[in-house]
Amino acid sequence: MNESLMTLSKVNTWFANEKTITGKPVSWIKAVNDVTLNIYKGESLGLVGESGCGKSTLGRTILRLVPLHSGGIRFMGDDIASLYGKKLRPFRSKMQMVFQDPKASLNPKMNIFKILSEALYLNTVLGKKDFLEQGVKLLNLVDLRPEHIFRYPHEFSGGQQQRISIARALATDPDFIVFDEATSALDVSVQAQVINLIHELRRQLKLTYLFISHDLSIMAHACDRVAVMYAGQIVEVQKAQSLFSAPRHPYTRALKDAVPVADPSSKKGLSILKGEVAKLSDLPSGCYFHPRCEFKQDICSKEPPDVYKTGKRSWVRCHFQEALWEQRELMDTKESA
Amino acid sequence: MEKTIPQKARQKTKAILEVRDLNVAFKTARGKAKILEGVNFELFPKEILALVGETGSGKSVTAKSILNLFGNYPGQIQGQVWFDTQDLLTLKDAQLESIRGNRISMVFQNPQSSINPLFTLGEQISRLIRLYLVPEIKMARQENNLTEKQAVIHIARQKLNEVGLTDIDRLLKSYAGEISGGMAQRYRIALALLSSPEILIADEATSALDVTVQAHILKLMKALCQKKQTAILFITHDLGIAAQICDRVAVMYAGRIVEVAKTKSLFENPLHPYTRGLLKAVPKFGKKEDLSFVPGMIPDLVHPPKGCRFHTRCSQAMTICRREKPRRVAAESRHDVSCFLYELEK
Repeated sequence: MNESLMTLSKVNTWFANEKTITGKPVSWIKAVNDVTLNIYKGESLGLVGESGCGKSTLGRTILRLVPLHSGGIRFMGDDIASLYGKKLRPFRSKMQMVFQDPKASLNPKMNIFKILSEALYLNTVLGKKDFLEQGVKLLNLVDLRPEHIFRYPHEFSGGQQQRISIARALATDPDFIVFDEATSALDVSVQAQVINLIHELRRQLKLTYLFISHDLSIMAHACDRVAVMYAGQIVEVQKAQSLFSAPRHPYTRALKDAVPVADPSSKKGLSILKGEVAKLSDLPSGCYFHPRCEFKQDICSKEPPDVYKTGKRSWVRCHFQEALWEQRELMDTKESA
Repeated sequence: MEKTIPQKARQKTKAILEVRDLNVAFKTARGKAKILEGVNFELFPKEILALVGETGSGKSVTAKSILNLFGNYPGQIQGQVWFDTQDLLTLKDAQLESIRGNRISMVFQNPQSSINPLFTLGEQISRLIRLYLVPEIKMARQENNLTEKQAVIHIARQKLNEVGLTDIDRLLKSYAGEISGGMAQRYRIALALLSSPEILIADEATSALDVTVQAHILKLMKALCQKKQTAILFITHDLGIAAQICDRVAVMYAGRIVEVAKTKSLFENPLHPYTRGLLKAVPKFGKKEDLSFVPGMIPDLVHPPKGCRFHTRCSQAMTICRREKPRRVAAESRHDVSCFLYELEK
């Protein structure tokens, strides 16, 4: 658990917004800004944020699916940031992704055997005659029955389709998986089954994964540590259990308070975060969150905040994190009043 | 022609909307799918009723059948939907037109696709203001000495301000594709509440939005409806929303309402095995343990299970559950449940 599997240092993913006639970018859409992050072996890291904050882009950047603007990515010690095309091939099988919409990410013209064989053919040393055996093994892993292997994706329910996507991701025996909103399209009951399955697989196969979601309440169930993202920047990283009982960053607090809790006796009600999400093509100066922050002061609009360590493997990016932390009881009483 | 109305029974309940024995079936290639089976509920004035359930449990079909929004879709609707003294299901389209959007309005899941992309937002709201708010236009013209066009814009500004929209001048000239999801949904709500309807049906109105925007919209809907005394039928799959803003909750499973109760009573003391399973599957903040779930899948409604539709997934199923359909019984005061566990007790 102490070894870092994935190390990101000052990663920026920018897309050209406007170009000159010669194709030189004039302005950028800054989807990921200055992300420095370690993902440790055997860890499950959550990534939350509002839509359009760059969560998925960060996931894709890590897997080198989108071009990197600047920064370094190390995967098990190897620098993968400078590699392109064929040179990335050996790493591709070690890193996999599971997408949000299982229906759209499975080819409707292929049966499950073909879907799994493709992954096996491209990324493993197995011979063709072993594919069937391996395919059945994979289906077993995700709690599907062997007779399912010759069926087509449309014959399955949403939860089962997501299990097939997971089986396909596991086919190459990866070390690292990105789950990009993998349970968001599912009903609560089915979502619970899939999360439990992911947990079980992690125990069995010693997986490391990044779990991207907009739903804060499933974070503690699915992850050890959670990173909170706002406008392309990670503003807080904390242990999943304490993140929502003791949020440090004003944004984390606001996010948490906006989630409706399935308990009518919680009198907290819904609190409201003012304003709209910062535009990635036109980011505010200083702290990106300051136009919406209720604790902002002059410095917030001028200087970008540093990173303050708040514990082992957890930190927060806010000028006033210490003062806010001391006042937290005060704020809680204000809320309940 | 108006049907004979059981006048006494109607006056006893003060419900503004009463759905009685609603059955809906659609023709599919594989046979008739019995989507709704004996749905019964009532909506009281000023109340917020949540209709919760999994995907495919018939929540949206229930909402659409209230206003008969299926068009020419091959299917059958049976039952009664009492609104005022009329059964909406017996009305012709032309008669319904005076109710749809006027006395009962609806907000859908995807705000951008429920706004006409070919007209500006200003044109669309003006049209509705001219249709519904004729006395207000007159008043605004007299008070502020405006032309009719100016008066309409004046009212549009007020109404959009009410739902918390800013920069309204730009907004009135924009098209649906140019505004964010949160803004679009606020605009839709402004349109839906323009005529001060008696009932607002919100079909997953906040499901496509971020939690922060969702919190905004929920508060806004609640406040506005209290002000205008509008009752809301809130269709959602999110039990958190039901707990936070609704007065009563009806739980649907495979086309039947299995439990109806006051919100507090339902969350503190769920009676139906399905409700219990559903509540246990909801993820909770800061809890690490594995989530529990209801095993199995929603049944195929072309061949629904005999008896109670939930018995195939129920851990407490008895022999009677496989043979007969449970009736709705009042297990506690204002807490109804359709389950043999409670029917036999009585």
